Amino acid sequence: MTAFVAHLDADCFYVSAERVRHPDLIDKAVGVLGNNGACVIAKSYEMKARGVKTGTPIWDAKALCPEGVYVKRDFYWYEVLSRKMLGIVGTFSPKVEYYSIDEFFFRAERLHPRQNLHQTATAIRDHILEAAGLPVTIGVARTRTLAKLFSDTGKPFGAVAVLERDHERELLATLPVTEISGIAGRRAARLAPYGIRSCLDLADADGRLVNRLLTKTGYEIWLELNGTPVTPIRPERPPHKALGRGGSLMGNVDQPVVLWAWAVRHVERLIEELNYHNVRTTALAVEVGWKTGGSTCGVVSIPTPTDRFDDLLDAARVALRRAFVPYATATHLHVLATELRRGKGFQLSLFDTPDPKKDAAAQAKAAVNARHGRFKVRSGVTLYLPAVYADPANNFDICDVRGKICF
Amino acid sequence: MCTAVALALSELPDELVLAHDLGVRIHTRGGEKEVRFYWRAAPALLPVWWNGGLKVVKWGNWDRAERKLPPTGWTWQTTVEAGRWSAMEPEPVEILATYGLSNGVWFRVQQGMRGLLVRTRGGEPVVYMICEPSTRYFRVMTRAEWMPVLIGEVI
Repeated sequence: MTAFVAHLDADCFYVSAERVRHPDLIDKAVGVLGNNGACVIAKSYEMKARGVKTGTPIWDAKALCPEGVYVKRDFYWYEVLSRKMLGIVGTFSPKVEYYSIDEFFFRAERLHPRQNLHQTATAIRDHILEAAGLPVTIGVARTRTLAKLFSDTGKPFGAVAVLERDHERELLATLPVTEISGIAGRRAARLAPYGIRSCLDLADADGRLVNRLLTKTGYEIWLELNGTPVTPIRPERPPHKALGRGGSLMGNVDQPVVLWAWAVRHVERLIEELNYHNVRTTALAVEVGWKTGGSTCGVVSIPTPTDRFDDLLDAARVALRRAFVPYATATHLHVLATELRRGKGFQLSLFDTPDPKKDAAAQAKAAVNARHGRFKVRSGVTLYLPAVYADPANNFDICDVRGKICF
Repeated sequence: MCTAVALALSELPDELVLAHDLGVRIHTRGGEKEVRFYWRAAPALLPVWWNGGLKVVKWGNWDRAERKLPPTGWTWQTTVEAGRWSAMEPEPVEILATYGLSNGVWFRVQQGMRGLLVRTRGGEPVVYMICEPSTRYFRVMTRAEWMPVLIGEVI
């Protein structure tokens, strides 16, 4: 018997989440603003109808939609609802993948022998709306890629089950190839000379040609489009190969002390991740994005795997110095642990001895922050970022939602 | 600077709507009716929670009807804390709002805003919106240097 995959996608999730706690926003044009308050990161269908897109600066958005209401993002709340939704889906399926904060894949199984998969998808969709207050769209198909494509065609608040090849082909013919996750402008341009413009064109193309044009990733998409499952549903997230923290510097930074403060902030956030995943790193990279375009990166090897603040601080200092461009203005900074080792059972070098005092200090810091709130104890260097720490919403970012496969 | 607040019509008793002729200030947003209190409206009014009830009172003194009051609709939190209003025996009030408007951007208000209520020589209540320097987020969002003091939330 063919196993079918379901893809669940919450409809304008951040807006829907705001509407759960603020029902007055229902039916209104709503835009959720990003970390800096400058761009719309999610918009309601009402706002979308006025021409506002994801990424539109608020100044353009308010001109397009003057009656729109703009809301500050709250990833704490979005995670609460996301996990609630995940729990609900888990009651319907034995295998659920937490793909992103608003998207899940799960094995589609009929709820009752007499029910078909379309009815099942509809029942799950309706139950989520009733139990969590969130409108979602569910697509069911033979593979993940197909399920994701077809759920998009059902938005908003749809339930689509495409189980026959003829039905698949009919829908694939209507979808441009850029609808496929992983095929954007550059890859689409590579396909265009061969007449591959729709998803059906890609599915009907020669697999060897696709492999040559789009490498293995493209070939796997081709297999999935033709109904051969490649990527299984992953109930557990595979271990990270690298961990990183960073992002926008909330404006232009041209003072080295402020840049260093950002680096230290991200090192502290990175250590939380290392501890959570019970890993240590033997390499630390600091990447700085510059206003003039481009970025520079400094990498430092650490002889012994570490997750300790003092070790990583020393490494970050050297890495930032390597990445630093004098008199340039920075806009982004990322700190990355690129070579991860398991947290226990690693080899010490000849000159490294365990330092129980520093370990105890790190544990005390983590315990205080766990009890009294994130960043309550933090490096004094970060005092150069008063605006960042004054706003509790900055303490939790989308990347802090753990366990999801995709960003 | 916050130059208008909107409150759902359902929050306002009919007698208040009639008493203050708020019918002309009713707008529809997303199918729901709301009353908008603009600073530029004549008269400028604000809905406040005062003496245990919802009242609609005059917002500031833009028409300079009262000589002893500043001809504005806002006051700074630092001014209030410094006691510069104390001679007028001010009362703290809560300005009720579902949405606030600042530089053309409507933002959602969870509970309300802080206000300061004083009386004219004739005994008429007048409310001033208490403001503080904008947080970085609010400043980027609205390009306003000052924001209302919000109750129970940080934007």
